[in-house]
Amino acid sequence: MDSFGLRIGGEAGWGIATGADLIAKACIKLGYNVFSTKDYASQIKGGHNYHTIRVSQGSVNADVNQVDLLLALDKETLLRHQSAVSATGIVLYDARTIIEDKDSRYLSIPLAKIEASLKEKNIHNSVFAGAALKVMGISFEVLAELIKQEFSHKPALQDMLLKSARAGYDSVDAIKDKTLIQNKVITNPDFISGNDAITLGALKSKITFHAQYPMTPVSGILHNLAQEAIKNKELVVIQPEDEIAVINMALGASYAGARAMVATSGGGFSLMAESLGLAGMTEIPLVVIEGQRPGPATGLPTKTEQGDLKFVLFAGQGEFPRVVIAPATIEEGYTETKRAFYLAEKYQLPVIVLIDKHLAESYKTVDLIEEEKKFEFDYSKRINIITDIKDAQLNPDGMFKRYAGGNLYRTLPGTPNGIFTCAGDEHDEVGEITEDAETRIAMVQRRMNKLKLILSELPPPQLMGEKDAELMVVSWGGNQGAIVEAINLLKEEGKKVNFLSLRYLCPFQTVEIKSILSKSEKLLLIENNATGQLGELIAEKTGIIITDRLLRYDGNTFTVDEIYDELKKRI
Amino acid sequence: MVELKEYQRSEVPNWCSGCGNFSILAGVKKALSELNIEPHNIVLVSGVGCFAKLPYWIKAYGFVGLHGRSLPVAQGIKLANPKLTVIAFGGDGDGYGEGGNHFIHACRRNLNVCYFVHNNGVFGLTTGQYSPTSEKGRKSKSSPLGTLEKPLNPLTLAISAGATFVARAYAGDFKQLVELMTQAIQHTQQGKGFAVVDILQPCVSFGKNYEYYQKRVYYLGTEHDATNKIKALEKALESGEKLGCGVIYEEP
Repeated sequence: MDSFGLRIGGEAGWGIATGADLIAKACIKLGYNVFSTKDYASQIKGGHNYHTIRVSQGSVNADVNQVDLLLALDKETLLRHQSAVSATGIVLYDARTIIEDKDSRYLSIPLAKIEASLKEKNIHNSVFAGAALKVMGISFEVLAELIKQEFSHKPALQDMLLKSARAGYDSVDAIKDKTLIQNKVITNPDFISGNDAITLGALKSKITFHAQYPMTPVSGILHNLAQEAIKNKELVVIQPEDEIAVINMALGASYAGARAMVATSGGGFSLMAESLGLAGMTEIPLVVIEGQRPGPATGLPTKTEQGDLKFVLFAGQGEFPRVVIAPATIEEGYTETKRAFYLAEKYQLPVIVLIDKHLAESYKTVDLIEEEKKFEFDYSKRINIITDIKDAQLNPDGMFKRYAGGNLYRTLPGTPNGIFTCAGDEHDEVGEITEDAETRIAMVQRRMNKLKLILSELPPPQLMGEKDAELMVVSWGGNQGAIVEAINLLKEEGKKVNFLSLRYLCPFQTVEIKSILSKSEKLLLIENNATGQLGELIAEKTGIIITDRLLRYDGNTFTVDEIYDELKKRI
Repeated sequence: MVELKEYQRSEVPNWCSGCGNFSILAGVKKALSELNIEPHNIVLVSGVGCFAKLPYWIKAYGFVGLHGRSLPVAQGIKLANPKLTVIAFGGDGDGYGEGGNHFIHACRRNLNVCYFVHNNGVFGLTTGQYSPTSEKGRKSKSSPLGTLEKPLNPLTLAISAGATFVARAYAGDFKQLVELMTQAIQHTQQGKGFAVVDILQPCVSFGKNYEYYQKRVYYLGTEHDATNKIKALEKALESGEKLGCGVIYEEP
């Protein structure tokens, strides 16, 4: 098969993630691309959890609703997901579950018998993983090798997993047309989440300070970097008392010379709003990762949404420069984090990388060697930090004119002759507090001028697909995966749809975007929110109002099936 | 020795004539000079309030941030470059109100940072409203019938939250003020942890005057065992009519 979708579901605490991980990695070993998403409730034990895994020859970046194989570890999974199984699909379920309307697609797994014979409990995940691989026609050796590799540090667990997976494997028959053929498309892939991609991007950028208060969906970044800091002596990772402390510590560290990052979701970002302006006013570099989840307030803490775009664009009192970048894929999480560190250090301002739960916590096979080429910079070099101060750069008191004219050089504390005051009050060229009107105008212009400089460094927006399409889709962030796939399906049917996927949302590439949008007669806006925030931003900047809008705000991401159907209605 | 004039800037402070901030500013310079710390190796961090302008009037690296947030900034600086001498400044509104959470956790965290709090029991810059350390019943523009809240005790809070150096100083006694600031800076230089100095500060426009403090301030003698946490807490709990100054607690 070219592409295969499976879903594994059960109660939180049953190790659903481990089961999903084993299946995904077995497919990766065979050379397939994998995209895996998880959906879970905000509770640790009990509650319905499921993972959807897509296995494909080509690269995939999106979720689907319909699957070929459903692993129903409990009755709730059956009730919720059996309608999503394709006509030729397979359902594996616990033999103890009573099903009224089952057909030939349903295969029972004798879980109770296996548990009794192995004298083990809570082995749903490995038994079902074993059975799934059998159905998919994958040799047990692939799974055995994987279990040995992944659990080499826990021999007892390894042994139990091997036995239970084997029992699961032997409990069902292979099904001919579901067989995955060994495929060598990708050779040495990384299987990473969006949070991993951001972590790797930060490490590539030689991050030295990370502060974060735990919050779904970006806690993974904190966990990754805390682990990294054990061996990386250049890296400080701290979990302060609240997000206000998080951002202020990071600003202190960055001012003193660290390459600093913070990560949070909308709630924590709300607490950071005033300090974001402090970064703009004092001209301190800072990378802020904002992983959106549905608000307001606590909202749907483990679900996904794109509801914070306008918030991150405008958060904070007064006017100050900021950069907002929204990666569209997991790989771009890596590249755009690297770009964020570069822009922050060069222009000394806050750079926000805006993702959502869908990108942060989904996993996919990526080729980071290829991705590396998209943005390269030598991060062993510092940008715009000076240690040798000329007399002409000092005022009569011997203070460094850090904020003079368009000067983007800064000194770090500890530098002789580099003394200046870093001030949240309006200030003059050495940072001294002032209310002088002319100085105020000069300082506002100095700060806001950075956006013009940055605009000239950003890659231009690219229209994907053919120029003479019937319909142009406009969207941003992680919706790209589902949109591109749906457009490709339509292309096979001879229908032409093209796509403008926007990443750089501040500064806004008004001229280029207006020019692309003006060329289409028929526009469709797709956003994972209720109000069409990108659409409103486009209207504000270009005067173009997109009236046809596909908006989803139920806490879930768009699926390929859904976008395909919606596009088809319009052409 | 670094001479006092090396910390000099030409701008003149715009505090009210007679403000306690003048002696705190002069005290910081004197202590740093005596400890021979060069201006470029010092970072003074403040927030918002009359006191917070202090870094503008001393030649050293300065960071004037947001209301209540000097402690996280100072801790971030120290974590990024432990060689720097880092002093955070707070006010009673700024540090004990707006930044109260940061204060508790900085005490627990015990990074080698000093925290000098200009405690005048009133909001000066916003014209005299009651603050977290105002006495119960204090009448002000925002409490015309008198406040209903008890004042916060920064000393017991700091000791119980785990700070390893807790002292009280009085801005009206320059010599002792410099001595306590010096001991606090030395505590951090020796890597012993977070050093808090709560500085009683007269506010000539809206708060208590020098006479009020002169009547109540006294200095702890050798009979006070600052290494005994229980004795330190007892001393810190003394009533407002007696204001014991000196090192209240220092972890042995």
